[in-house]
Amino acid sequence: MKLREESGIKILEITTDLSSYAASDLRKVLEGLLAEKTEKVVVNLSQVSHINSTAVGALVGVAKRLRQSGGDLKICALADNLTRTFNLIGASSVVEIYESENSALAAF
Amino acid sequence: MANADIKLKIPSAVFYIDPVRAFVGNLAKDLGFSRKRVADIQLVVDEICSNAVHHGSIDATGGVKLQIRINTRSLEILVRDTGSRYEGQNSWLTHERLSEIEANRSPSNESGHGIFIAKSLSDTYEIQANAAGGTDVRVVFELLVPTNIQPS
Repeated sequence: MKLREESGIKILEITTDLSSYAASDLRKVLEGLLAEKTEKVVVNLSQVSHINSTAVGALVGVAKRLRQSGGDLKICALADNLTRTFNLIGASSVVEIYESENSALAAF
Repeated sequence: MANADIKLKIPSAVFYIDPVRAFVGNLAKDLGFSRKRVADIQLVVDEICSNAVHHGSIDATGGVKLQIRINTRSLEILVRDTGSRYEGQNSWLTHERLSEIEANRSPSNESGHGIFIAKSLSDTYEIQANAAGGTDVRVVFELLVPTNIQPS
Protein backbone atom coordinates (compact mmCIF):
# COMPACT_ATOMS: atom_id res chain seq x y z
CA MET A 1 0.00 0.00 0.00
CA LYS A 2 1.27 3.45 -0.90
CA LEU A 3 0.17 6.56 0.93
CA ARG A 4 0.63 10.07 -0.40
CA GLU A 5 -1.02 13.45 0.01
CA GLU A 6 -2.36 15.95 -2.48
CA SER A 7 -4.02 19.25 -1.56
CA GLY A 8 -4.69 18.04 1.97
CA ILE A 9 -6.25 14.77 0.81
CA LYS A 10 -4.63 11.47 1.72
CA ILE A 11 -4.48 9.08 -1.23
CA LEU A 12 -4.13 5.43 -0.37
CA GLU A 13 -3.09 3.34 -3.34
CA ILE A 14 -3.73 -0.35 -2.78
CA THR A 15 -1.16 -2.52 -4.51
CA THR A 16 -2.39 -5.97 -3.58
CA ASP A 17 -5.59 -7.98 -3.80
CA LEU A 18 -7.81 -7.44 -0.77
CA SER A 19 -8.59 -10.84 0.67
CA SER A 20 -8.86 -11.44 4.41
CA TYR A 21 -5.11 -11.30 5.02
CA ALA A 22 -4.61 -7.98 3.24
CA ALA A 23 -7.89 -6.61 4.60
CA SER A 24 -6.36 -6.72 8.05
CA ASP A 25 -3.47 -4.53 6.85
CA LEU A 26 -5.92 -2.19 5.13
CA ARG A 27 -7.88 -1.79 8.35
CA LYS A 28 -4.68 -0.96 10.28
CA VAL A 29 -3.66 1.70 7.77
CA LEU A 30 -7.15 3.24 7.78
CA GLU A 31 -7.27 3.18 11.59
CA GLY A 32 -3.89 4.96 11.55
CA LEU A 33 -5.33 7.69 9.35
CA LEU A 34 -8.25 8.12 11.73
CA ALA A 35 -5.83 8.34 14.66
CA GLU A 36 -3.93 11.10 12.84
CA LYS A 37 -7.22 13.04 12.52
CA THR A 38 -7.15 12.73 8.76
CA GLU A 39 -10.41 14.04 7.30
CA LYS A 40 -10.25 13.38 3.58
CA VAL A 41 -9.19 10.07 2.07
CA VAL A 42 -9.24 8.67 -1.46
CA VAL A 43 -8.63 4.95 -1.84
CA ASN A 44 -7.34 4.03 -5.29
CA LEU A 45 -8.18 0.43 -6.19
CA SER A 46 -6.86 0.45 -9.77
CA GLN A 47 -4.31 -2.30 -9.03
CA VAL A 48 -6.76 -4.54 -7.17
CA SER A 49 -8.39 -7.50 -8.92
CA HIS A 50 -10.12 -9.03 -5.89
CA ILE A 51 -11.84 -7.61 -2.83
CA ASN A 52 -13.79 -9.47 -0.17
CA SER A 53 -16.49 -8.33 2.21
CA THR A 54 -14.03 -7.81 5.09
CA ALA A 55 -12.13 -5.20 3.08
CA VAL A 56 -15.35 -3.59 1.83
CA GLY A 57 -16.54 -3.46 5.44
CA ALA A 58 -13.35 -1.73 6.54
CA LEU A 59 -13.79 0.93 3.84
CA VAL A 60 -17.47 1.42 4.71
CA GLY A 61 -16.70 1.68 8.42
CA VAL A 62 -13.98 4.27 8.01
CA ALA A 63 -16.07 6.30 5.54
CA LYS A 64 -18.88 6.47 8.09
CA ARG A 65 -16.53 7.51 10.90
CA LEU A 66 -14.87 10.19 8.76
CA ARG A 67 -18.26 11.66 7.86
CA GLN A 68 -19.10 12.00 11.52
CA SER A 69 -16.17 14.44 11.80
CA GLY A 70 -16.96 16.28 8.58
CA GLY A 71 -14.63 14.33 6.34
CA ASP A 72 -15.12 11.45 3.93
CA LEU A 73 -13.53 8.47 2.24
CA LYS A 74 -14.05 8.07 -1.49
CA ILE A 75 -13.09 5.11 -3.64
CA CYS A 76 -11.90 5.15 -7.23
CA ALA A 77 -10.82 3.07 -10.23
CA LEU A 78 -12.65 -0.17 -9.56
CA ALA A 79 -12.38 -3.15 -11.91
CA ASP A 80 -15.73 -4.54 -13.07
CA ASN A 81 -15.74 -7.45 -10.63
CA LEU A 82 -14.99 -5.10 -7.72
CA THR A 83 -17.90 -2.89 -8.75
CA ARG A 84 -20.12 -5.98 -8.79
CA THR A 85 -18.98 -6.88 -5.25
CA PHE A 86 -19.72 -3.37 -3.97
CA ASN A 87 -23.12 -3.43 -5.71
CA LEU A 88 -23.97 -6.90 -4.42
CA ILE A 89 -23.25 -5.93 -0.81
CA GLY A 90 -24.95 -2.58 -1.33
CA ALA A 91 -21.84 -0.68 -0.29
CA SER A 92 -21.97 1.44 -3.43
CA SER A 93 -24.91 3.23 -1.85
CA VAL A 94 -22.86 3.96 1.27
CA VAL A 95 -19.44 4.89 -0.12
CA GLU A 96 -18.92 7.26 -3.03
CA ILE A 97 -17.24 5.54 -5.98
CA TYR A 98 -15.50 7.39 -8.82
CA GLU A 99 -14.07 6.26 -12.12
CA SER A 100 -10.71 7.95 -11.63
CA GLU A 101 -8.50 9.32 -8.88
CA ASN A 102 -8.83 12.82 -10.31
CA SER A 103 -12.61 12.71 -10.23
CA ALA A 104 -12.55 11.44 -6.64
CA LEU A 105 -10.18 14.24 -5.61
CA ALA A 106 -12.31 16.81 -7.42
CA ALA A 107 -15.41 15.63 -5.53
CA PHE A 108 -14.02 16.93 -2.22
CA MET B 1 -20.30 -38.99 -15.13
CA ALA B 2 -16.96 -39.37 -13.33
CA ASN B 3 -16.07 -37.14 -10.41
CA ALA B 4 -12.59 -36.19 -9.32
CA ASP B 5 -11.97 -35.09 -5.75
CA ILE B 6 -9.24 -32.82 -4.48
CA LYS B 7 -8.76 -32.58 -0.74
CA LEU B 8 -6.94 -29.76 1.02
CA LYS B 9 -6.40 -28.89 4.65
CA ILE B 10 -5.12 -25.49 5.73
CA PRO B 11 -4.33 -24.12 9.18
CA SER B 12 -7.12 -21.90 10.50
CA ALA B 13 -5.36 -18.67 9.57
CA VAL B 14 -6.25 -16.11 6.92
CA PHE B 15 -2.73 -16.27 5.48
CA TYR B 16 -3.60 -19.60 3.83
CA ILE B 17 -6.79 -18.44 2.15
CA ASP B 18 -5.04 -16.60 -0.70
CA PRO B 19 -3.24 -19.70 -2.01
CA VAL B 20 -6.52 -21.64 -1.88
CA ARG B 21 -8.30 -18.84 -3.72
CA ALA B 22 -5.60 -18.83 -6.41
CA PHE B 23 -5.74 -22.62 -6.77
CA VAL B 24 -9.51 -22.73 -7.09
CA GLY B 25 -9.41 -19.82 -9.53
CA ASN B 26 -6.97 -21.60 -11.81
CA LEU B 27 -9.01 -24.78 -11.60
CA ALA B 28 -12.23 -22.96 -12.47
CA LYS B 29 -10.55 -21.23 -15.39
CA ASP B 30 -9.24 -24.55 -16.73
CA LEU B 31 -12.69 -26.08 -16.38
CA GLY B 32 -14.02 -23.42 -18.73
CA PHE B 33 -15.77 -21.01 -16.41
CA SER B 34 -15.96 -17.45 -17.74
CA ARG B 35 -13.63 -14.80 -16.35
CA LYS B 36 -16.57 -13.21 -14.53
CA ARG B 37 -17.62 -16.54 -13.05
CA VAL B 38 -14.05 -17.32 -11.97
CA ALA B 39 -14.03 -14.05 -10.02
CA ASP B 40 -17.36 -15.02 -8.42
CA ILE B 41 -16.03 -18.45 -7.44
CA GLN B 42 -12.86 -16.95 -5.96
CA LEU B 43 -14.89 -14.46 -3.94
CA VAL B 44 -17.16 -17.18 -2.57
CA VAL B 45 -14.15 -19.33 -1.62
CA ASP B 46 -12.59 -16.34 0.15
CA GLU B 47 -15.81 -15.61 2.06
CA ILE B 48 -16.58 -19.13 3.25
CA CYS B 49 -12.95 -19.85 4.16
CA SER B 50 -12.77 -16.55 6.04
CA ASN B 51 -15.89 -17.47 7.99
CA ALA B 52 -14.42 -20.90 8.78
CA VAL B 53 -11.18 -19.32 10.04
CA HIS B 54 -12.76 -16.46 11.99
CA HIS B 55 -15.86 -18.16 13.36
CA GLY B 56 -15.30 -21.89 13.04
CA SER B 57 -11.99 -22.55 14.69
CA ILE B 58 -10.68 -22.36 18.23
CA ASP B 59 -7.18 -21.57 16.97
CA ALA B 60 -4.94 -22.16 13.96
CA THR B 61 -4.40 -25.81 14.85
CA GLY B 62 -8.08 -26.58 14.30
CA GLY B 63 -7.65 -26.47 10.57
CA VAL B 64 -10.10 -25.96 7.74
CA LYS B 65 -10.74 -28.81 5.31
CA LEU B 66 -11.76 -28.34 1.72
CA GLN B 67 -13.11 -30.97 -0.61
CA ILE B 68 -13.25 -29.84 -4.21
CA ARG B 69 -15.22 -32.08 -6.55
CA ILE B 70 -15.10 -31.55 -10.28
CA ASN B 71 -16.79 -33.20 -13.20
CA THR B 72 -17.71 -32.18 -16.71
CA ARG B 73 -20.68 -30.12 -15.55
CA SER B 74 -19.81 -28.48 -12.24
CA LEU B 75 -17.34 -27.42 -9.61
CA GLU B 76 -18.36 -28.25 -6.06
CA ILE B 77 -16.57 -26.96 -2.96
CA LEU B 78 -17.15 -28.17 0.57
CA VAL B 79 -15.54 -26.19 3.39
CA ARG B 80 -15.50 -27.88 6.78
CA ASP B 81 -14.52 -26.24 10.06
CA THR B 82 -14.34 -27.68 13.56
CA GLY B 83 -16.42 -25.10 15.42
CA SER B 84 -15.21 -22.58 17.96
CA ARG B 85 -16.99 -24.13 20.96
CA TYR B 86 -17.41 -20.98 22.96
CA GLU B 87 -18.10 -21.71 26.60
CA GLY B 88 -18.01 -25.44 26.07
CA GLN B 89 -20.77 -25.48 23.48
CA ASN B 90 -20.56 -26.64 19.92
CA SER B 91 -20.97 -23.57 17.83
CA TRP B 92 -21.86 -24.64 14.36
CA LEU B 93 -23.71 -21.99 12.45
CA THR B 94 -27.31 -22.92 13.25
CA HIS B 95 -30.17 -22.08 10.92
CA GLU B 96 -31.50 -19.73 13.60
CA ARG B 97 -28.18 -17.90 13.73
CA LEU B 98 -28.07 -17.86 9.94
CA SER B 99 -31.53 -16.29 9.78
CA GLU B 100 -30.47 -13.71 12.35
CA ILE B 101 -27.37 -12.78 10.35
CA GLU B 102 -29.40 -12.48 7.15
CA ALA B 103 -32.14 -10.42 8.80
CA ASN B 104 -29.61 -7.99 10.27
CA ARG B 105 -27.51 -7.59 7.13
CA SER B 106 -27.29 -3.99 5.97
CA PRO B 107 -25.07 -2.36 3.32
CA SER B 108 -23.80 0.03 5.97
CA ASN B 109 -22.67 -2.79 8.28
CA GLU B 110 -18.97 -3.59 8.35
CA SER B 111 -19.52 -7.34 8.59
CA GLY B 112 -22.12 -10.05 8.05
CA HIS B 113 -21.98 -10.10 4.24
CA GLY B 114 -20.04 -13.32 3.61
CA ILE B 115 -22.93 -15.78 3.71
CA PHE B 116 -25.08 -13.45 1.61
CA ILE B 117 -22.35 -13.27 -1.03
CA ALA B 118 -21.86 -17.05 -1.07
CA LYS B 119 -25.59 -17.66 -1.41
CA SER B 120 -25.99 -15.01 -4.08
CA LEU B 121 -23.13 -16.08 -6.31
CA SER B 122 -23.30 -19.88 -6.12
CA ASP B 123 -25.80 -22.08 -7.97
CA THR B 124 -26.27 -24.24 -4.88
CA TYR B 125 -25.55 -23.25 -1.28
CA GLU B 126 -25.98 -25.63 1.63
CA ILE B 127 -24.99 -25.36 5.25
CA GLN B 128 -25.17 -27.99 7.96
CA ALA B 129 -23.63 -29.13 11.21
CA ASN B 130 -20.82 -31.67 11.02
CA ALA B 131 -19.70 -34.42 13.39
CA ALA B 132 -16.80 -32.30 14.69
CA GLY B 133 -19.22 -29.71 16.10
CA GLY B 134 -18.42 -27.29 13.33
CA THR B 135 -20.04 -26.18 10.11
CA ASP B 136 -20.02 -27.64 6.60
CA VAL B 137 -20.66 -25.18 3.81
CA ARG B 138 -21.18 -26.66 0.34
CA VAL B 139 -21.37 -24.56 -2.78
CA VAL B 140 -21.79 -25.68 -6.37
CA PHE B 141 -21.08 -23.77 -9.56
CA GLU B 142 -22.60 -25.17 -12.72
CA LEU B 143 -20.86 -24.97 -16.07
CA LEU B 144 -23.09 -23.54 -18.80
CA VAL B 145 -21.28 -25.66 -21.37
CA PRO B 146 -19.91 -29.05 -20.22
CA THR B 147 -16.14 -29.10 -20.22
CA ASN B 148 -14.16 -31.51 -22.35
CA ILE B 149 -11.77 -32.15 -19.48
CA GLN B 150 -11.81 -35.73 -18.26
CA PRO B 151 -11.08 -35.29 -14.54
CA SER B 152 -10.58 -38.98 -13.86
